[in-house]
Amino acid sequence: MLIFVQRLGRLVFVFFVVTFVTFFLLDQAPGDPAERFAGLNATPEVIEGIRAELGLNGSLIERYLRWLGNAVRFDFGDSIVTRGFSSWDLIRESLPKTLELMVFAEIMAIGIAVPLALASARRPGSFIDKASSSTAFGLLALPAFVLGIYMSFIFGVKLGWFPTIVDNLPGLNDDPLDNLRQMFLPSLTLALNLVAVYLRLLRSDLIETLQEDYVMLAQARGLSERRIMWRHVLRPSSLNFTTAVGLNIAGLIGGAFIIEVLFAINGMGRLVIQSVILEDFNVVAAVVAILTVAYVMMNFLVDVLYSILDPRIRHAAR
Amino acid sequence: MFVSTRRRTLAILVSGALVAAACSGSDSADSPDATEAPAAAAEAEPDETPDDSEPAPTAPDEPAPLEDEDQLTSAGEGNVDLASLEPIAGGEITFGLTNDGTGFDTTGAVAPGSIRVITALNDSLVGLDADANWQPNLAESLTPNDDFTSWTITMRPGLLFHDGEPVDGEAVRANLQAFKDSPTVGFAMAQVDSITAVDELSVRLDLSAPWAALPYGLVGQPGWMVSPSTIGTNETFTGTGPFILESWTPGDGARVVRNPNYWRADEGLPYLDAINFKFLVDVTVKRQAFEAGDVQGYVSPDDEDILDFLDDDETDVWIGTAGANEYLWLLNTTAAPFDDLRVRQAMAHAIDKQFIIDAFRSGLTVPANGPLNPSDRWYTENNYPQFDPAAAQALVDEYEAEFGPIEFELSIEPNASTIEVAEVMMSFLTDVGIDGKIKEIGQGQSALTAILDDFQAFSWFQFGSPDPDSDYVFFHSSGGFLNWTNLVSADIDAGLDAGRQNVDEADRKAGYAQFLQALGDEVPMIWVDHLNGVEAAVTLPELHGIGTPGILPDGSASLPMTNGSFFAWSGVWIEQ
Repeated sequence: MLIFVQRLGRLVFVFFVVTFVTFFLLDQAPGDPAERFAGLNATPEVIEGIRAELGLNGSLIERYLRWLGNAVRFDFGDSIVTRGFSSWDLIRESLPKTLELMVFAEIMAIGIAVPLALASARRPGSFIDKASSSTAFGLLALPAFVLGIYMSFIFGVKLGWFPTIVDNLPGLNDDPLDNLRQMFLPSLTLALNLVAVYLRLLRSDLIETLQEDYVMLAQARGLSERRIMWRHVLRPSSLNFTTAVGLNIAGLIGGAFIIEVLFAINGMGRLVIQSVILEDFNVVAAVVAILTVAYVMMNFLVDVLYSILDPRIRHAAR
Repeated sequence: MFVSTRRRTLAILVSGALVAAACSGSDSADSPDATEAPAAAAEAEPDETPDDSEPAPTAPDEPAPLEDEDQLTSAGEGNVDLASLEPIAGGEITFGLTNDGTGFDTTGAVAPGSIRVITALNDSLVGLDADANWQPNLAESLTPNDDFTSWTITMRPGLLFHDGEPVDGEAVRANLQAFKDSPTVGFAMAQVDSITAVDELSVRLDLSAPWAALPYGLVGQPGWMVSPSTIGTNETFTGTGPFILESWTPGDGARVVRNPNYWRADEGLPYLDAINFKFLVDVTVKRQAFEAGDVQGYVSPDDEDILDFLDDDETDVWIGTAGANEYLWLLNTTAAPFDDLRVRQAMAHAIDKQFIIDAFRSGLTVPANGPLNPSDRWYTENNYPQFDPAAAQALVDEYEAEFGPIEFELSIEPNASTIEVAEVMMSFLTDVGIDGKIKEIGQGQSALTAILDDFQAFSWFQFGSPDPDSDYVFFHSSGGFLNWTNLVSADIDAGLDAGRQNVDEADRKAGYAQFLQALGDEVPMIWVDHLNGVEAAVTLPELHGIGTPGILPDGSASLPMTNGSFFAWSGVWIEQ
C-alpha cells in the first residue's frame, strides 16, 4: 500500500512540475493576451478589466495557483483566437477522437503482435518467425507519415475500402459501423509501428521463458503446448511488454499528432499544433495539463499492472 | 487518366521509398538528404538564369497554356454544353478547404477559411454581374442622390434571416452601423457620416464626400447581413443565404444545410441538401481524399496538381481570375530603411519575378507591377522598377554611402512554401548588398501585426478586388492603420478619389491610371505575381456550378469565382 501512495505522490509532483514549467514558458511568450483579447483601440480600463477577467493579474505563482484551482474544475479559460469557445469546449470535441484512435491502435497492435510473437517463439527460425521478423523490421523503418500515405493510397484511393479522411465521425454508440470504418486506417497506421516493437520484445522474452525449468516440467507433465504458452509462458514474459505498452502511450500521443493531420482527424494533436501556431495559450496550457494527467495516470496503472503480473514485485514492495 | 494515375502512383511509391530509405538508415550520416533537397533548391543562386538552374521541363510537365488570364474553362467541363444540363435537386457534398476559420463575427477581421463558409450562408446586399458591374442582390435597389453624397438602400419585402427575424431597414442599419463602429474594419466606411433607417425597408447613408462606387463596397463584408441579435457573435452566422449553419467545429470544418425559407426558393434554390466543409491542410491529404471520392471538390490545389488535373479528363479545374490575390511584400515606409525611396526601388530592381514564377508556380502566374491584373479592365501600365541588378546595386551603393548597410526584417507567417519563396527573394537582395532576415509571426496574425505597424517588411497576399474601389482603404492616406505601408501620396489619393467619385468609366480609368503610376513610382510594395493561375478549385465532373456563373435576382449571370471564394453555392448541384 505504501508503495502505491509513494508512486501517487510522485505522480502528483510530476504533474505540478510539468504544468508549472508549461505555465512559465507560456508566460514568457511575447505579447499581452489581454491586449489581443481586447482588440484594437481598447482603452486601458477595458484591457485591465479583461486582464482581471482572464486571471492575468498578480505574480506568476499567484496566477499559476489560480489557474490550477480553476483547472481542477475543468475551467481552463476561453480560447483567445476562436472567440466564443472555451478551451474545454475545444478539448471536449477533440479528446474523444484522439482517445479512440489510441485505444484502437493499442488493441490492434496487441491483437496482431501477441499471436505472432507466440507463433514465432514456439518455432524460432520457422517461416512465420522469419516472415514476421522481416515485416517488423520493415515497419520499424517506415515512419508513420509515410505508412499513412501508403495506407491511404492503397486502401482508400486504389481499393476504395476505407475513407481517406475522417469526416463527421459519428459516435461509437450512434453508428459503430461507420465509426469503425472511418477510424480503421488511422488506427492501423498507428498500430503497425507498435506491432514491430511489441513483436520483437515479446518474442525474445517468450523464448527466454521457454528455457525455464518450470516450462520443461509442464511439458513433462503432458500439458498441451497451447496451454503452456498462453497460461505459463505468456504472463511471466509480459513484464517488458507491459512496460513498452505503458511507455508507448506517450509515443502514441506523438504519433497520433501526425496521424491526425494525415487523416484529417480533429483530435488533440491537431488542436495543440493549431493552438501553438495561433498562439492560443489558454488552449495549449489546457492540453498540456490534460496530457500530463493522462500520461502520469497511465504510468501509474502500468506500475499497478506489474505487481499483478509478477507477484514477486508485490512481495518485494512489502 | 490512366497516364496521370500511373504517374501519381509511381511518384508516391518512389517518394515513399526515398523517405523510408532516408529514415531507416538512421546510422548513416547521409540520412538528412531527403530533407535537404528543398533547402538546397531554396538556396539556389538567384543570379543563375532559370534556364541554367532549372532542369529542362519535360513535355508533360509544361504548363497548359492559358489562352488569356480571364479563362474560366477547364479540361473537362469547359467542353460540356452547360445549358443542356438540367440541375438536379438534392444530395450533399463534402468540399475541402485549405484554411480553418476563426469565427463569423462580421464586425471583425474574418479569416479566409471563414469567408469560404460564409459564402454559403450569406447573400450580400450587392452582387457582381459577369462584367464585374454591381447589381442589387439582397437589396432591391441602391439609389444615389445627384452628387453621390447620399445613398438609399431599399430592401426586398418579406426577406427573413435564418432565425426568422425580418431583414428590414432597421436590421440593415444595425449591421452597417456595427461595421462602421468596428475599430478593426470600420475604416472601410470612414466616409459614411450617418446611417439612418428611413422607413421599414430603407436605409440612407449620408457621406462626407461623393462616393459613386459605394455599392462595390457592399459586395463583400460590409454587405453581409446577420440577424441583429447576433451581430458581433463569433461562433455562428445567422444570415440570409441559401444554407443554414448547422455546426462548426473549429479545426475540423462546418456543416451547412438547405435553408427551407430561402428567399429564392421559388427558383428551386438551393439545389443541394447540405455541404460539409472540411478543413484539409495538407496538399497530399487533400488530393488523396479527392481521388478517393471522399471530397467532391476542393480549393487551392498545388500548382503541380493543377498541371496534372488539366491533363485529366476526369477532373475539372476551375481557375479563378477576377480578383485573384497578389503575392507581395509590404514595406513600412515610415521606418528605416524603407523610408528612403532608393531602397524601395533597389528592392524592386533586385528581384527576378519570373524566376519565382517559374520555380514556385510552375509558370502559371503572371508577374505583378501593382494590384491590378493586366486582364483587368481598370489596368494600365506603370513604371514599376523591373529586374535590373545593376540599377539595384547603384541605388544601394548610393544609399549606403550616406547611411551605411541596409538591413531589415521580413515578417512572415509560418507557411513553408511561402518562406521558401521569401528565402529566394532574400538571396536576390543579398546579391545587391541588402541583408534581410526572416521573422516568423503567429499564424493568422498578419493583419494584427500590420495594423500595429510592428514590421519593416511583410510577406503578404491580398488585393485584386474586381473593382479597385474595394481596395481604396489599403492605399489611401485616410485609410488609417489599414493603409498598410503608411505611404502618404497626393497622387495615390487623387487617383483613388477620382475612381471613387466618378461614374463615367473613362474618368474612373484615368483615376486608377494615376493611382497605378504613383504606386509604381513610390514603390511602397514589392510586387511578385498575380495568383490567378494558381487560385483554383478542383471538382469531380459530376459536381456542377463551381466556377460557373450563378444567376442574379434579375436573371443575369453573376461573376464566378471572384477571389476563388465567391462560389454561387445556391446554384451548385451534383449528379446523383
